[in-house]
Amino acid sequence: MNIILLILSAIIYLSYGIQNCIYIVFSLLSSYFVAKHVKNKKMLLAITIILNAGILVFVKFLPYTNLNFLAPLGVSYYTLQVISYLVDVYKGKYQYEENFLNYALYIMYIPHLFIGPITRYDEMKKQLQEKRKITLENVCNGLLRILWGLAKKLIIAGRVSIVIATITSDTLSYNGCFALLAMLLYSIELYSDFSGGIDIVLGISKIFGINLSENFDSPYFAENVKEFWRRWHISLSSWLKDYVYIPLGGNRKGKLRQAINTLITFSISGLWHGVNYIFWGIIHGIFVLFGDKYKTRFKWLNRGINFLIVSILWSFFIWNNDGTAIQMIASVFTKFNIGEVCSNILNLGLEVADWIILIISTIILFIFDGNKQKLKEKKINDEIRFSLICTLAILILVFGIYGIGFDVNEFIYSKF
Amino acid sequence: MKKTIRIIAILLIFVLIFIFLNRLLKPKYAENLVEGSMINQYYNEPKDHEVIFIGDCEVYANFSPLVMYEEAGIKAYVRGNSQQMIWQSYYILKETLKYEIPKVVVFNVNSMKYDKNSEEVSEAYNRLTIDNMKWSKEKIGIIKESMTEDETFLSYVFPILRYHSRYDELTEEDFKYLFKNKENTYNGFLINKNIKPVGNLPVKRVLASYGFSSECYEYLDKIRELCNENNIKLVLIKAPSLYPYWYDEYEEQIRKYALENNIDYYNLLEKAEEIGIDYSMDTYDAGLHLNITGATKLSKYFANILMENYNLTNFKGDPVYDEKLNEYYEKIK
Repeated sequence: MNIILLILSAIIYLSYGIQNCIYIVFSLLSSYFVAKHVKNKKMLLAITIILNAGILVFVKFLPYTNLNFLAPLGVSYYTLQVISYLVDVYKGKYQYEENFLNYALYIMYIPHLFIGPITRYDEMKKQLQEKRKITLENVCNGLLRILWGLAKKLIIAGRVSIVIATITSDTLSYNGCFALLAMLLYSIELYSDFSGGIDIVLGISKIFGINLSENFDSPYFAENVKEFWRRWHISLSSWLKDYVYIPLGGNRKGKLRQAINTLITFSISGLWHGVNYIFWGIIHGIFVLFGDKYKTRFKWLNRGINFLIVSILWSFFIWNNDGTAIQMIASVFTKFNIGEVCSNILNLGLEVADWIILIISTIILFIFDGNKQKLKEKKINDEIRFSLICTLAILILVFGIYGIGFDVNEFIYSKF
Repeated sequence: MKKTIRIIAILLIFVLIFIFLNRLLKPKYAENLVEGSMINQYYNEPKDHEVIFIGDCEVYANFSPLVMYEEAGIKAYVRGNSQQMIWQSYYILKETLKYEIPKVVVFNVNSMKYDKNSEEVSEAYNRLTIDNMKWSKEKIGIIKESMTEDETFLSYVFPILRYHSRYDELTEEDFKYLFKNKENTYNGFLINKNIKPVGNLPVKRVLASYGFSSECYEYLDKIRELCNENNIKLVLIKAPSLYPYWYDEYEEQIRKYALENNIDYYNLLEKAEEIGIDYSMDTYDAGLHLNITGATKLSKYFANILMENYNLTNFKGDPVYDEKLNEYYEKIK
C-alpha cells in the first residue's frame, strides 16, 4: 500500500507545479543519505539542517518578492519533519531508515503536506513498516472524521469567513466593536478551519490504516496562553519545544535564560507562520512568561480571559499587517460602538438563518470539545456510526457554505 | 444478518432524504421565473406537432401556436427558452426528434450573434433552460456545451449542490409543486397582456465585430444537417423584436447562409408594418417582446406563410386543440 500512497502523493504534488519538486526532492535525498552517516557528526548535521532550514526561511521571504510562485507546497511541514528526523538519528533516538520508499512516504505523504500535522518519524516508522489493510471499520471511522472536519470547515468556518471578509474590507467603517466581533469570530473560524482540515487529514490516514496524532486538544478550554499552546497546533508546539526550546537550555539555566529561550522559541513560531508574524509570536511568548500572573480561581473566567487574549492576538492574522492590526486592537479599547454593531449585524453578509446556524453549530462544537474524552471512550455500534455519517453528510450538503463564489479547497493554514 | 439489514435500511433512508432534499431545494419555477418550467411542459404534450419552433425568448413570447391552429389548423409547439443559445437549440431539437418528427422546424436566428464568450451566456439562463430537462444523452450534451467556468456537471446531476442555500428561501410554492409542475404556457407560448410602448427607436451603435462566430455556424450546420437527415424543412426567421438591434451586417450573413444552403429565411422585423404590429400597443416591454395582441397578429401572419409553403395538414376541428383553444381564450380574456 505504501507504494500506491507514494505514487498518489507524488502525482498530486507534481500537479502543483514541477518547481515544487526541486525543494522536496532535495530535502528528501539530503536527509535520507545524510542520516546514514550523521550519528555523532555534529558538523554534518548542522550543515544539512542549515541548508534545509535555509530553504524554509527563504520561502518565508518570497511573499515580499515577485517570486511567490516559487513557494513549494508543504515546505513548512516537511522541513520540520526532516530536521526532527536528522536530530533524532544523530542523537541515537532511533536507527536511520534504510527503506527509501518508507522514508519518502514519510516526507511526501500528501494529506499532511497541505495543513499538517508535523509528524515524527518514530511515530510513523512502525505503521509504515507493518502491512496495513483497508478495513470497513477504518473506512467508517475515517469517513466520520472527514465529515466532522468538513462540517467544521463548511458550516462554521465558511460562514464566519463571510463576516470577516466584510469587516476587513473597510477598516474605516468597521472598527471598535466590529473589530472585536471580527477577532472573536476569527478565533472560531481559524479553529474550525484548521482543526477541520486536520480532521480530514486524520480521517484520510485512518482509511489507509495510518494513525496520526491529534493536533488539537480543545484549545479554547485553556486557562492561560501557556496552556493554550499545549492544546493548539500540538505538533508544532511540541516540535518547537523539543528541537528549539530544550536545546537552547529550556528552563534549566535560570529565569532570565528561560525567558530569552521562550521568546526565541515563539519568534521562531511566528517566523514559521511568515515573516510578518514574528511580532505576534513574541507577544504570545510574553503572555506565556506571565501566564500565571493573571490567572483567577475561577476556571471559566480564566478560560474567558484567555479566549479574549488569544482572539485579540489573532488580529495579526486577520488584518495581515502589523500596523492595521494594532490600530484595530486600539480601536477596541477606544471606540464603543456596540449599538452600531447590533443594528448592522445583518449587513455583515449573513442572514438571520445563517447566524442561527452559526451559533448552534459553534455551541455543538464546543460541547463536543468539552466532552471529547467521554465521547471517545463511548463505544458506538455500526448502526449509529452509519447514521452519524449519513446525518453529517446531509447537514453538510444543506448547510455547508460551498459552490459558486466560495473556494472550499482554501484552508487558512495551507498558506503557511 | 440483522445488522446488515439495519445498515441497508439506514442507507436507504439517507438516499430517500437526499432525493427529497434535491427536489425540495430546486426552484420550482411555478409562480416566479416561470421561464424555467417551459422545457418540461413539452413532455406532457401529445407529440403530433407538424411545426416546432426553437430559439430564445423571441419565439416563446412572439408566436402563439394556438392562434396558428385557429388561423390555419396548424399543430405547432414552441420549444423556446430565455436566452436559448444556438448550441442549446441544437440539443433541444435533437431531444424533440426523439419524440416526434415535425414537417417544419423554425429557428429564430437572433442567437447567432452570441458565442460562448458572450456576456449573455450565464449560469442563470443555463439553469432556466436545463434544470427541468429530462435526463438523456441530449441533456448531458447541453450541459457540457453550456456550462460556464464556475459551474460543475455534478451540480446539474444533484441540484442540491447548487441550490442548498435556498433552505431559508423556501416558500409554499416549493412544497406545492414538489411532485408536480405548473403549466404556464400554451404549447410553449408565454402569455403577456401588459402594454409598454416603444419609447425611443433603437440606435445603431458601432460594434467591434459583426461577424457570427464559427462555433455558431457550426451549430447552425448541425441543425441543418439534423433536419436534412430527418427530412424536415428548416426555416430561419428573425422575429419582429426591435431590441436588441438587428444589424444589416447580421442580416447579410444570414441571407448569404440561407441562399448557399437553400433554406427559407423570413425577416419578420422588416414585415412589421405588413403584419400590422403597432409598437405603441403590441409590446409589453418597449419593443423587446410582443404582448398578446402583437403575438396574435404575428402568429396569424406566419401561420398563413407556413400553410401556403410547407404542405402542412389542416387539423381544424381537433377536439383536443379546440379544448385548448377555449382554455387559451379564457386565460387571455
